[in-house]
Order: sequence, then structure tokens, then C-alpha cells
Amino acid sequence: MATDTTTDDGFGQVSRVKGVVFEYLTLAASLLGIVSLAILLSYVSYDAFGLDAAAPAWYVVFLLTLVAPSAGFLWYVRDRSTVRSSISGVLSVILGGTLVALGLVVVLSIIVGPDVWFAHSLFILGPTLALLGYARYVDDSAVWAGTAAGVWLFVGAVLTAIDDLLLVFGQQLASPFDLVTMPEELLLQAAILLGTPGVYFLTVLVPAVVLADRYVASRSNDRRGHSLAVALVLVTFAAVPLVDTVPAVSRGSWLLVVVGFLTPLGVYVALNAADSDSRLGLAFPLVVLAGLFAGRLVVDVLGVARPEPWFDWQLLTSSASATPADAGLYPAIIGSVFIIVLVAVFTVVFGVGAAVFLEEYASSSGPVGKVTRFIQVNISNLAGVPSVVYGLLGLALFLRLLGMGAGTVIVAALTLSLLILPIVIISAQEAIRSVPDDMRQAGYGMGATRWQVIKTVVLPEALPGILTGTILALGRAIGETAPLILIGIASFVTWAPDGVFSRVTAMPMQIYGWAFYPDPGFRHGVVPAGVITLLAVLLAMNSVAIFVRNRYERST
Amino acid sequence: MSDEAQTPDLSGGRGFQTVRERLYHALFFVCALLSVLTTLAIVIALLTEALGFFAEVPVLDFLTGTRWSPTIRPVEYGVLPLVFGTVMVTLGAAALALPVGLLTAIYLSEYASPRVRSILKPALEVLAGIPTVVYGFLGLVYLTPALSVIFPSISTFNILSGSIIVGIMIIPMVSSISEDAMSSVPDSLRNASYGLGATKFEVSTTVVVPSAVSGIVSSFILAISRAIGETMAVVIIVGAQANLPEASSIGGLPFVSPTSLFDQFLEPGMTMTVAIVNLAVGDIATQSLAYQSLFAIGLTLFAITLIMNLISDLVAQRYREEY
Repeated sequence: MATDTTTDDGFGQVSRVKGVVFEYLTLAASLLGIVSLAILLSYVSYDAFGLDAAAPAWYVVFLLTLVAPSAGFLWYVRDRSTVRSSISGVLSVILGGTLVALGLVVVLSIIVGPDVWFAHSLFILGPTLALLGYARYVDDSAVWAGTAAGVWLFVGAVLTAIDDLLLVFGQQLASPFDLVTMPEELLLQAAILLGTPGVYFLTVLVPAVVLADRYVASRSNDRRGHSLAVALVLVTFAAVPLVDTVPAVSRGSWLLVVVGFLTPLGVYVALNAADSDSRLGLAFPLVVLAGLFAGRLVVDVLGVARPEPWFDWQLLTSSASATPADAGLYPAIIGSVFIIVLVAVFTVVFGVGAAVFLEEYASSSGPVGKVTRFIQVNISNLAGVPSVVYGLLGLALFLRLLGMGAGTVIVAALTLSLLILPIVIISAQEAIRSVPDDMRQAGYGMGATRWQVIKTVVLPEALPGILTGTILALGRAIGETAPLILIGIASFVTWAPDGVFSRVTAMPMQIYGWAFYPDPGFRHGVVPAGVITLLAVLLAMNSVAIFVRNRYERST
Repeated sequence: MSDEAQTPDLSGGRGFQTVRERLYHALFFVCALLSVLTTLAIVIALLTEALGFFAEVPVLDFLTGTRWSPTIRPVEYGVLPLVFGTVMVTLGAAALALPVGLLTAIYLSEYASPRVRSILKPALEVLAGIPTVVYGFLGLVYLTPALSVIFPSISTFNILSGSIIVGIMIIPMVSSISEDAMSSVPDSLRNASYGLGATKFEVSTTVVVPSAVSGIVSSFILAISRAIGETMAVVIIVGAQANLPEASSIGGLPFVSPTSLFDQFLEPGMTMTVAIVNLAVGDIATQSLAYQSLFAIGLTLFAITLIMNLISDLVAQRYREEY
């Protein structure tokens, strides 16, 4: 080795300069991309929150009330890993719960509608639950019941979908399934009698509270689950008078917020409240919240000039417009949520199915092995195909060949599903592969068949990994733009979609459409606010994915 | 289990269960087949429309034409300006991302403490997770004005800004795959080298990097393939002007002076992906030549990226050092 040595006294001294310079060079390279992105994003936030309007005193006030206490809190607990993991956990639950609540409101009350939801869910789930209950409590040798329940889940969904399609195309004529779907008509009438809040209470809130109760009970051995359930129901009713004073939130939406946001938060708090370190972590969001309120109060009292944020309630609730002050993201947000929900359904079903086949069924030798290897190579290559090519596929396949409408929800969802399917398959495969083989062998040793081992051992063990991979892939789908342009998604749609065949826009499309507007109100106002919205959604999704992964890693 | 007999029935007789097992086997197989069908659909869709295009425009004219003007008369379909634009953006991005990514990988694998690595690695992944349309907006509205301070002649839409942004985007691709390759170099090699009196710098550059070279090269190829296929950031930042530099002729060979080549970085350009998006945004009639040209470029793009991905796989497998 040619080291730089000065050979004045036998053993010599090694020059360290080159090595030290190189180390700092590599460190600088590691930071280059991150720092550049951070600088660009801080400009975006500066514009989106309109910080140029804020007086220096405003910064001082919030530094004292919000930043200093939060930073002090974090510094105080810096060496206590339980507190830190509890903080990151509760923040993930808050972010994720917000997303789930938003998704529930969009899907159940804006897209599907309460009465159709009531009829469909009971029509599909009723017989399914009955079959499962029969197998569990009446005749435990009825091995066919589980399969029958699965088949009905599928058939019922297809029947209702066909029913809806006939309605969309305006054919009020007798559908061939009228006899089967007759109970559905009755349920529809019942839903109208119940009213929106009643429907959500029975079909969403009650099951969610029961699930939360069972989950807490299975994780801790006291009666915290029951107190949580009672508390949730009490809060739901107690807050109704308060909710009625806010015109933007209906009683139905409030119930969905309880289910999507308060229930997971309650479960997390209930499970972590016993340990004093975890309890301290739960206090962190309260410190932030208190800081925000205190800062606001002080600013009001002192009359300090405040920032004029573009990222506000108005942006989230109004439609696209050519004037920056009126422009909003409402149709784009609803559209994105709608598309992503469908993409999630398609990719989870087919992605996990494919991964199970490749990991559990496919043999690695013989002609079948060759087919399997081909599928495997094919999947990894599909993951590397540029997204714009998937747009061309969507254009040729769904628009031209199958004649679906340009720019509709279903075309966007199918195209994006094909795009992220390889990623979902690959990550699901990794999750399934990491299930130890001993567990499978133990299952087989007890006489279980392959499907029984998959259902009761492999999938439950791999579930967190599958979830993490799927959420990350969905994050990719929610930011994709190029394929959407090719399948004719418009960037200027002023109404929210109301069915899978209606025209739609999505958040990234809206940003793309606005990016070229020369008006500074857009360039340094509305678009940065839109970017912040999109990034906030991504942040929430990713933090949920990381939360799931961390919990999983701890439990093994 | 449904067997309730006192003596276990080891001969089987699980009539319904056999049916169920076959049913699930078939269902999962169909799911796996879907990915093959997707590939087939992509190839068929691209080929049928592209063949229609090449029936009108000879392949040679398409590949050697120097003017791209699918909608404005005189209509010409020469892909060279698009290839030039793509190469420029990719070169610029690679010049930034390959060295930076490689140095990052060396830092993460050789120098960083576990704590620093646990912070840096997810932070780098964030770079790959930001939607490309957001990158495009950042480049157009914040980076290009900043660059105009250094290069006053830079135009609103330019290749340089696009290259930098695409470069930032693909850093994590280089760094994470290269780092995996470097981490799998066994410690015995490092320790042997230390034993011979090598410094950490020498171990990193003369032992670890050469041992991991297959992974590094494969990460380079993947990152370049990603840069070629990058769409939204380039659409927003680079604009849509299909340019070729002025070429003079030296000894019968076309020659472009380096300075005029560099000036091209400050000008707008058009990549293959931009051409696809631009044609799709404009209203073009189905089965028109312009519509079919969309798929001709798509096919070119698909073929290039597929070949690069396959080469990357091959390099990673063929030249992997076995320890």
C-alpha cells in the first residue's frame, strides 16, 4: 500500500489530510441533495403560509410560545426512548387518523351517499357475517362456510356494482338480478327512514367502537377497552350541540370523524396511558396545541401583523378558479381520495394475491419454475418502466380499445393500479418471505392445508410489512401526473366526482395546470399552498407506514 | 379440522378441502398472471400503433430526421432533436447524481455512525418520494430565477435547471443500491487491508469501491434509465422547444463546439417524454399520424429503458464478487 509516509524515523507518520478531506467530501455529498431540497421547500412554505406579511414580533411571539416549549420538551426527553417512540406514535396516529377521517367522509358521504352505503354494506356483509357466525357458533365442522362467505363477498359486490352500472346508464328497467337484489331495495327504504346520522351510527360507529373495545381488551388485561367504548359514545353525543354550531360539519361527518380520528387516537391513548413514560409522550401534542393557542392569543392582544396564508380553509373547500383569491383544491382533493381508494382496493387484492402465489405456491424447479422465474423477472422490469408509458397503455387499452370515457375516475384508478402493482407485489413478497419457515412447518405439522397455513399463519404475520409497502406505493400513486395527462384527466374541473364514470381531476394535475400561470398570486401563492397540501398528505401516509413498520419490528 | 373420528383418518378424504385448495391456487395464479398480461398489453399497444406510424414514416427517416414538428406544417417526425434533449438532460443529471450518489454511499457505508446513518438514509429516501410535479414547480419557480443570477442569459425554460432537479431526484437511487453493494463487502477484506497499513481512505477507495463495482455500475445504469424516463419535472422546467445545436463540419464529420453545446444547457429543449405529454395535451384525432407518433416515441422510450434495466440486472449478477 502506498501510504503517504514521512520516513524520518523508522516507523513514520501517516498523512491524515487526504483522509479527512475525503471524509468531509463524502459527508458534504450526502447532505447536498437533502439541503437543496430543504431550501427549496422552505421557500415553498414561506410562500404558502404568506410569511412575508408577518411582522418580526410575530416570529418572536411564536418562537417563545410554540417553538421554545416544544424544543425544550424534546430536549428534556432526548435520552428516554419510550417517551420518544410514544411521541412519534401519537403524532403518526393523529396524522393517519386525519387521513382516515378525510377518506371516510369523502367515500361514505360525498361519493357513495349514506343510503346507498347502508343498503350495499348490509346486503354484502349481512349474509357474510351470518355464514361466518354459523360456522363459528352453530356447526363448527362446516368448513364450507368460510369459502361461501368469501364467495358471497365477491358476488355481492359484483351484483351491487352491476346494479349501480345499470342506474348510471339510465336503465331503470328490470335488472336480471332483481330477485336477488330485492332486499337491497328494502334496505334503501330503511336507510331513508333512519337518516344520515342514524345510518353512520349503526353501520360505522358501533362496529368501530366494538372493534376498538375488543382490540384494547386483547392487548391489555383490565377493563380499559370498555371505558374507551363508553367514552367514545358519550363524546359523540355530547359534542353534537357543539357540532351543530359549525355549518361546515354535518352530524354525519362528525360521526365519521369520531370513527376515523378519535377512535384510533383513543385506542392508542388507552394502550399507552398505563406507563408513565408513554404518558409523558402523549403530552407532546398538547404542548404544541397549547403553544399555538397561546401564540395566537398574544398576537391578537398585541395587534401584531400576522402572516396571510394561502394555505387555509378556503383553499381546501373551494373549486378551481382563474382568480388566485378564489382558487381552491376541493375537487382535486376529492378526486385524489376517490382514485386512491379504488387503487388501494385493486392493488391490495391483486398484489397480495400475486405475491402469495410467487412465494407460497410456485415451485422453483421444472417447467413451473421457469414460468415463475419469468413472472418474477417480468415484475421487476415492469417496476422500471417509465410512468408515462403506463399512460400510453391506459390511453390505448382503456380509452381506445374498451371505450371508457376520457378523464374518468375508473380509467385513472385502473391506470395507476397497473403502475404501482409491481411495487406492491415486490414489497408484499419481501414481507411474506420474512415470515420464518418454522411457523409454516408448525402449521403443516398440525395437519393444516396450504391455504389454511397462508390464511392463519403467513398473512397475519406478513400483514404489517404488506401494509407498509402498500401505503408507500399508494404515496407514489397519489403524486403521479404523467399517466393522468395521457388518459385525458383535465386540470380544470370545477366539481367533485360523484361516481366512477364521472370526470375527475387530481391534486398533482391541479398543480401542473396552475404551474404555468404567470400571475404571482398563483406562482407564489396558490400553487405553493397546493404543493404543501400534497406534501402534507404524503407525509401523513409515510408516517403511518413508518409507524406500522416500527411497531412490527419491535414486536418480533 | 372436520374429522371427528376417534382414530385419526390419515388417508385423507378431505373432499371439499381439496376443491378449496385448487380454487385458491388458481385464484393466486391469476393474480400473478396479471403482471405478465400488463407487459403484453404494453408491448401490443405500443407495437400496433407504432407499426401504423412506421408504415407512413419510414423508420430511417424517424431515427435520422433532424426536425420534430408533428402538428405545425411542414409536418416532420425526426426524433433526433428529442434524443438530443433527452441526452442533454440525462448527461447533466448524471454529472450531478453519479458522483454525489457514489460519495454518499461511501459515507453511509464506511464513515457514518449507526445513529447518523439511521437519520440520513430515510432523509435521502425523501428525495425519491417527493412527487415529480412538485420538483418541476420548484425548479421553474425557485431554481431557475436563482440560476439566472449566475447565468444572466438563461431562459425561463432551460435544460440546466431541469438537469439539476432530475439529478437531485435520482441521488437516492444511486446511493441506496451502491450502499447495499458496499455494505455486503465482507469485513475481512477491509481488515486485511488495514493490517497491511492502509488508511481508511485507502481502504474505501481501493478495496471497498472496486469490490462493490458491479452494484455501483448497476445503480448508475438504473439511475440513468430513470432520468431518461423522467417526465413531469422536465415538462415543467425544460419547456417544449425541439432544438439541435448548430453543427459545423470538420473533415466531413458534424462537429459541435463545446461552448455552443454548453449554451444549449441555458436554452429550452424537448425530451422524448416532453414530446409525448405535449402531443397528449394538444387535441389530436385518434388514428391520426400525430396520435400514432405518440406510440412510436413511447416504444423508443420503453425499449431504451427496458434494455438499460436488463443490462443493469446482468451487470449486477454476472460481475458480482462471490464471498
